[in-house]
Amino acid sequence: MIATRSLVSVVDDDPSVRESLPDLLHELGFAARAFVSAEEFLTSDCVERTECLILDIAMPGGMSGPDLQHELMLRRRQIPIIFITANGDPTIRPRLLAQGAAACLFKPFSDTALLEAINAALGTS
Amino acid sequence: MGETERLKRCINDLIGVLALPAIWTGSDPTHVLSTLLEALRGMLGLDLVYARMNGPPGEAPIEVVRVAGADTFTVQAHDIGVMLNERLGADPRNWPPVTRNVIDGTEVSVVAMPLGLQGEIGALMAGSGRADFPGETERLVLGVAANQAAIGLREARLRSDQKRLTTELDQRVARRTAELTAANQGLRKEVAERRRAEEHLRQSELNLRQMTETIPEMLWSATSDGAIDYCNARLLDYTGFSAEAVMGSGWTKALHPDDVEQTARVWISCVTTGAPYRVEVRVFHRADGTYRWCVTNARPLLDQQGRILKWHGTLVDMHDWKEAQEALRNTQAELAHMTRVMAMGELTAAIAHEINQPLSGIITNASTSLRMLAGDPPNVDGALETARRTIRDANRASDVITRLRGLYSKKEAAAESVDLNEATREVIALSLGVVQKDGVIPRTELAVDLPRVTGDRVQLQQVVMNLVRNALDAMSAVEGRPRELLIRTGRDEGDRVLLTVQDTGVGFQRESADRLFDPFYTTKTSGMGIGLSVSRSIIESHHGRLWAALNDGPGATFSFSIPCEPVGARVESLVSSA
Repeated sequence: MIATRSLVSVVDDDPSVRESLPDLLHELGFAARAFVSAEEFLTSDCVERTECLILDIAMPGGMSGPDLQHELMLRRRQIPIIFITANGDPTIRPRLLAQGAAACLFKPFSDTALLEAINAALGTS
Repeated sequence: MGETERLKRCINDLIGVLALPAIWTGSDPTHVLSTLLEALRGMLGLDLVYARMNGPPGEAPIEVVRVAGADTFTVQAHDIGVMLNERLGADPRNWPPVTRNVIDGTEVSVVAMPLGLQGEIGALMAGSGRADFPGETERLVLGVAANQAAIGLREARLRSDQKRLTTELDQRVARRTAELTAANQGLRKEVAERRRAEEHLRQSELNLRQMTETIPEMLWSATSDGAIDYCNARLLDYTGFSAEAVMGSGWTKALHPDDVEQTARVWISCVTTGAPYRVEVRVFHRADGTYRWCVTNARPLLDQQGRILKWHGTLVDMHDWKEAQEALRNTQAELAHMTRVMAMGELTAAIAHEINQPLSGIITNASTSLRMLAGDPPNVDGALETARRTIRDANRASDVITRLRGLYSKKEAAAESVDLNEATREVIALSLGVVQKDGVIPRTELAVDLPRVTGDRVQLQQVVMNLVRNALDAMSAVEGRPRELLIRTGRDEGDRVLLTVQDTGVGFQRESADRLFDPFYTTKTSGMGIGLSVSRSIIESHHGRLWAALNDGPGATFSFSIPCEPVGARVESLVSSA
């Protein structure tokens, strides 16, 4: 255990993800915060501190995952992003990776796949 | 006057009298009489001379009189005739040789004598104021003159009769000639009219023939018993057959061998019943040596009693059109398939999304739970909490599946008023191409007073279409017997409507009758075997029943029975949908 844990933020409209993922991240050795929407994340105090963002692609009613990615780019805030999606369309993965995403995971994903993706994103394999 | 002188004169007179017939040659009776009387008066110095020639029975006699001086006698010829009759008697044979008579106040000696032995020719009378008249020589001259006159008049009468007969004959000949000429003219006119009519007819036939030969269509005709008796040049050119080759029943040689039997059967049926003839058939096309799809149509020409006199028909090459139709149908089928695949893909994605969310929670929570238990010390409270979440998410996934099942199964059919006959006719019209292509004879017996039903028109049509397709598939391998499809509608007991589709196909195994309607059960090499299963679901959602039975003969019959629309329901549904 290291003294200061890296903060991994989760943005997903699905309550079960917001509920379960922070606990797993904590078990994996990270600090974790969950947000219901991109807007909530942007207005929080975590934007500057977050070292890795786990971001749902489709969030009805507000900004989508890629929208948030674009907004952070405009603010020149470079956070490695791991996209997660329940939509099984495999064609979106290469597109998202080409646009700068660190990884793209399809729900459901295993804890080891998640850990690999975070480590890759943080450059601490 | 001396005796010698008297005799000489008498002889001269006799010669003169005897010469008269030479003058009379060719003369008519009046001329004969006139010249006779002139001669006698001159010779004998008569004061009055009269002659009569009897006419034919019923006609007036010809009477002529000559007098010496018009001052003394004014008597008319006819009066003398009457006088002789009155004074001397009706019969000239009994007349006395000489009488004294007063005529016009003058006393004259009268010699009257008959002409002809019986007086049948007429009479001659000579009168003279002289008391000694007639002398002996005068009597002789008068007697000879009477004989000569009788002969001359008989000849003249004969001539006259002949002339009359000749004239009459001429007139009759002329009349008959005129009649014949008139008749001849009439005949000539009639002949000319007939010739004109024939010419008109010939021209009209020529026009018609020219039309049938120049019109850009293929035409043919047949006798009432179905024998082909005419094909226009365009049709012969198309097939490459000679007129002699296709006459009678030779036309079948131009058809594709596989189409001959079916086409001939339809033609014979039409010739028997007088029904309009329409067949899609492959016909030999000389230009490229292939068989091309054509449609042939014919109608009977009927007499006033409705008997068939002739058949007139057309043949139209519809090969390109049919191929285009086929291509269109294939495209439509492909499109439908793609739509279905795409819809399926979207559906799958939606289902996957709904399922993946709780699955994701399950796996994350389960992983967390395991990690908490594997810690040192184990975080038992955290593990219990995450295990509980795992169960909750699993239930959530289960709910999603239940909800999906509810969404896609037992969907309530749209309720509208449906005329099953009309819906069936539409299905038949849609599938007619396939039906005919398969060489199937479709027949319908749709009940005229069929009550309407309440239901989903499209779904019911899918069922009918499905049953028709099954029937066609069942008959596709049938050879050696007619492929007959019979679709019937009617009332069923208990206010229900019945529809049956009967085929002459291969049927099914009696023991598998119940399994026919199981999903994915099929006897066919193509298809998934869900048609009858879906059909039964549709019929059951209409509160009906779908079943199959083997025919007494070859083939099977599929039937469904659904309740008919309650009376007044139609109005209600119209009101509620407004």
